Amino acid sequence: MSEPTTSSAANGAAKVRFSPRRVWTLALATMTQLIRMKILAFLVVFCLLAAGAGFAFSVINPEQQLNLLKSVTLGALQIFSIVIGVVSTALLLPKDMEDRTLYTILSKPVPRFDYLLGKLLGVLMLIGGGLIVMDAVLSLILWMRQSMLFEDAVAHMRLEKMDSPEAVAQVREIVARQGLTWNLHWAVWAIFLKATVVTTVALLLSSIASSTLFTIVITFCVTIIGHGESLIREFFFQPYLSSTMGRAASFILAAIVPDLAQFDIVDSVVSGEIVPWGVVYDMTGIAALYVTVYLFVTHLLFVEKEL
Amino acid sequence: MKRNLQAIAVLLLFGVVKLPLEERVTLHSRQQKMLQEPLRLGVGEDLGQAGLAASLGGLRGLAACMFQLRAHVEFTNVNWAKVDSLYKLVTRLQPRNFRYWEEASWHMAYNAASYYLYNQELKPALRGQLYHDHVMRGVAILEEGLKFLPDNPRLWQKLGETHWHRTKDFKKAGDAYWNAFQHGGLGFTERFAGYAWAQSNDPESWKKGYALLKRLYDKSGSTPGLVEYLKLLEQNLKLPAAQRIPDIVPQRKGPDPQAGPVR
Repeated sequence: MSEPTTSSAANGAAKVRFSPRRVWTLALATMTQLIRMKILAFLVVFCLLAAGAGFAFSVINPEQQLNLLKSVTLGALQIFSIVIGVVSTALLLPKDMEDRTLYTILSKPVPRFDYLLGKLLGVLMLIGGGLIVMDAVLSLILWMRQSMLFEDAVAHMRLEKMDSPEAVAQVREIVARQGLTWNLHWAVWAIFLKATVVTTVALLLSSIASSTLFTIVITFCVTIIGHGESLIREFFFQPYLSSTMGRAASFILAAIVPDLAQFDIVDSVVSGEIVPWGVVYDMTGIAALYVTVYLFVTHLLFVEKEL
Repeated sequence: MKRNLQAIAVLLLFGVVKLPLEERVTLHSRQQKMLQEPLRLGVGEDLGQAGLAASLGGLRGLAACMFQLRAHVEFTNVNWAKVDSLYKLVTRLQPRNFRYWEEASWHMAYNAASYYLYNQELKPALRGQLYHDHVMRGVAILEEGLKFLPDNPRLWQKLGETHWHRTKDFKKAGDAYWNAFQHGGLGFTERFAGYAWAQSNDPESWKKGYALLKRLYDKSGSTPGLVEYLKLLEQNLKLPAAQRIPDIVPQRKGPDPQAGPVR
């Protein structure tokens, strides 16, 4: 009697395949769960910070003011995205286990991979949504400041009888380069990509961690090492600099840690550099590769985990 | 256990694949000026940069901004030593941002130097010495910035201005203005290179200045500045009368500024 039942259960399990709709439902539930945890209160802090950086320091020159506004707000975006990504991902799995939600979900025909992907997508949607809102606020403030500063600078030059067409053109070029351009949005995209990679690493660590604190601390360590990964890589590729042991250690470190410095185009954007399409493709491609591989490894670890 | 081993194997295999890929992407981004080149300033400085890069990550720009604001507060407190040390930190954090080099130099060569020059509480000899030291510090900052940004026209222009207005070394001012123009600086930097060379004490610079200003004179006609400095160069180079430009006062397009208000 029991044989046909086992066989039917096995068939039933075999029929459960990856379902984008199921992943989407899980992602929406995760996002709602995080919003209820009042994580987006950071948005209000960001708006106040952007307004402060935009209007508080009128004593410095127009170029410096725009520079300061962009540096402060893009820096805040980086902190926001990484902190939210790490903390919320580290909290999700233990919270689901504590609330028994995890058992309710996995007792249904939901593959563990769908669950993981849904959770990751939910966190990324929250980060992405937050970044879009903050990008819009930053763009608005930057555009307002840009117009005001240009008019002020020209009025000042006129007062000092220094408003030659060449000088006005130079001020216009400086303000336009430092003001609102598409490059600013590419910087926000790079911030999102970096946060995506860090969040995936947090999910990977969360699947093997015994506590939330462990996940948070180790992910931040990986984030810091990830920013210096190019130095470790350089050390590995220069054999005359190190012993065999040193090279082995540098290889292991460089191999398991993502190179997060590849996404650090913010400083160049703040300086007014134009972001080429090739760099955007490279960043997006390598981020997609990291996410795919780290998610696959997370699945391998999570699928065997005893819950 | 089997899956755990598989996970470790995948991670290490991915590491082998990703290292050359990361190297290529980083190199491409550096070529496109999107990522900063590793800095080669000597062993001590390298260690400092490595530490900063790893510890501050993508927030170096933000940290530089905070130190810049602190430097501004010290500027209002007239604490020049602190301004200098804070800007040193700022330029270490963001060596590719020419504005920080420009500001650091301006604070030293103009603000600090003038403060000491006009400080009645100091002895005249000390005032002169402090003025000179701070101007030279401003020049040194710009020269250091040009090691990182050798093709930045604004830094070359500022170096030209500092030599013209502060050190009165017109040969160096002319060279700097000329470099600014060569690296895409505004049109006036070309003229100013000629004007600066005209005022120098170096006969080679006079020749360069004369060739430059004569070319501009033939191309775009006479302006008061151009005629004045060409005349000066003709005198310095002792050119025969036949080679000299006509001795006429150029006609102004607007009213003469000396003539008073238009009635």
